[in-house]
Amino acid sequence: MTQYAYFFGCVIPNRYPGIEYAVRWVCGSDGFNLDVEDIEEFSCCPVPGIFYSSDKRTWLLIAARNLTLAQNERREILTVCNGCLTSLLKATENLADPKNLGRVNRVLSQIGRKYIGIPTKTEGRRRVMGPVKVRHYVDVMINDVGLETIAERTRKPLSNVRAAVHYGCHYLRPTEKQTIDDPNDPVNIDLIIEKCGATSIEYEDKLDCCGAGGGVRSHVVELANSITEDKCRKIADAGADCIVTGCPFCLLQFDNAQKSFTKEGIPVMHISQFQAIAMGVDPNSLGFDTHHVSVHSFIRKLRGT
Amino acid sequence: MGEVEKTFIGGLHEKLAEDKIIDESHLEPNFAKEIVKHGGKDVMTCLQCGNCTGVCPISLKIDYKTRSIIKFCQFGLKKFTLEMRWVCATCYRCYEYCPADINPAEVMIALRHMAIKEGVIPPFIKLAATNLVEYGQSVKPDSEIERVRRELDLEDMPSRTRGYAKVVREINLLVRSTGYDRLIGIESEVRG
Repeated sequence: MTQYAYFFGCVIPNRYPGIEYAVRWVCGSDGFNLDVEDIEEFSCCPVPGIFYSSDKRTWLLIAARNLTLAQNERREILTVCNGCLTSLLKATENLADPKNLGRVNRVLSQIGRKYIGIPTKTEGRRRVMGPVKVRHYVDVMINDVGLETIAERTRKPLSNVRAAVHYGCHYLRPTEKQTIDDPNDPVNIDLIIEKCGATSIEYEDKLDCCGAGGGVRSHVVELANSITEDKCRKIADAGADCIVTGCPFCLLQFDNAQKSFTKEGIPVMHISQFQAIAMGVDPNSLGFDTHHVSVHSFIRKLRGT
Repeated sequence: MGEVEKTFIGGLHEKLAEDKIIDESHLEPNFAKEIVKHGGKDVMTCLQCGNCTGVCPISLKIDYKTRSIIKFCQFGLKKFTLEMRWVCATCYRCYEYCPADINPAEVMIALRHMAIKEGVIPPFIKLAATNLVEYGQSVKPDSEIERVRRELDLEDMPSRTRGYAKVVREINLLVRSTGYDRLIGIESEVRG
């Protein structure tokens, strides 16, 4: 059985602890019972929009440090965030270049660490090393847990719920590196939603960006919000009860931006929270009180009132 | 440079200079090469087809289209491009649709690196980096969220535990090793 290490990143534990609760529940002994542990020494991935954008050497060092922690425990990194996924994956690619690797390890040696990757196979007496595996929560759900098991464990089918899926850019691109879904026609989150008994609705420009990434939210928030507004309007036109995403940063953007252009807003949740509800967890214990857009309308819909 | 904003539609830079749309003294002839040195591809191979702009979520909203920013780079409008706000969402759609394989998103990243070196540093970079060297995380812990964590029976954040001081020391050492603290002006926040 694959062994994983949770990588919650910065946004989930510090802004949306309900996602952390849901992921731990879904992966834990009440849920799919995966072999997954915490590595407490993990730091920020670090955020691509800040560190990859301002100094690649520093970005790579901090990412490599995180990778060595999973490497030493022989665990695959289970990310719950598109930003962490892209940052750590990109770091493994960069470290495949011996020049980068040497430079990084010279600095890491000062803190007693070394990135070597994980053994993938042996050729004669030689061990062939590969990159530390970085996985997305949705990838693990689809490819390791499997849709059949997800369907079996759905105790409370969310049959009257119409969900609008937002994948987020770094789940989809760059396409030549994408192995977990079809980047031009992704289906994984939609499939999970259907196995939870709900309907994943079609809406215009479903693969559009939330507007927040790359530092845009931090730097020019009106611009980011205006892109979110366009997307939310299309989602509202399609009659969605909620927005479901695999990325906490997209979630944060939808959740915060909506108050700038609407009073009511469409509830936003992470796919793990959506799954937890379908698996029987009380929605009131999923930390929705830290969300800015109230999920009351969604919960009323669940109860059919 | 205000006129460039309003009138820019492309064209040869000699012509634009003659028409006084571009001030010749602002041009940096080696700008394209500098971009390559900072990790971007050669913008001189851009065909100005505009695919990047057609698929860009930001270009829909603002006057500076991806294509025109690449054109500014071809011209060598260094100061002007480096002082622009960071408006690329790094969604990498432009990269997917570029027939010349320029990867405009990475060109934008190279421009950011150059801007930082020139001392044009957006405040949120300092803020996030300060959080990183203080807490090991880019998002600052929040007491209200910590209350909810306890309600949900979640462990205290690792960054709040005593053992985490070692992580923070390691991060500080890594940040110092590249001179990142001096680069973005957070020397006083970095410890050790």
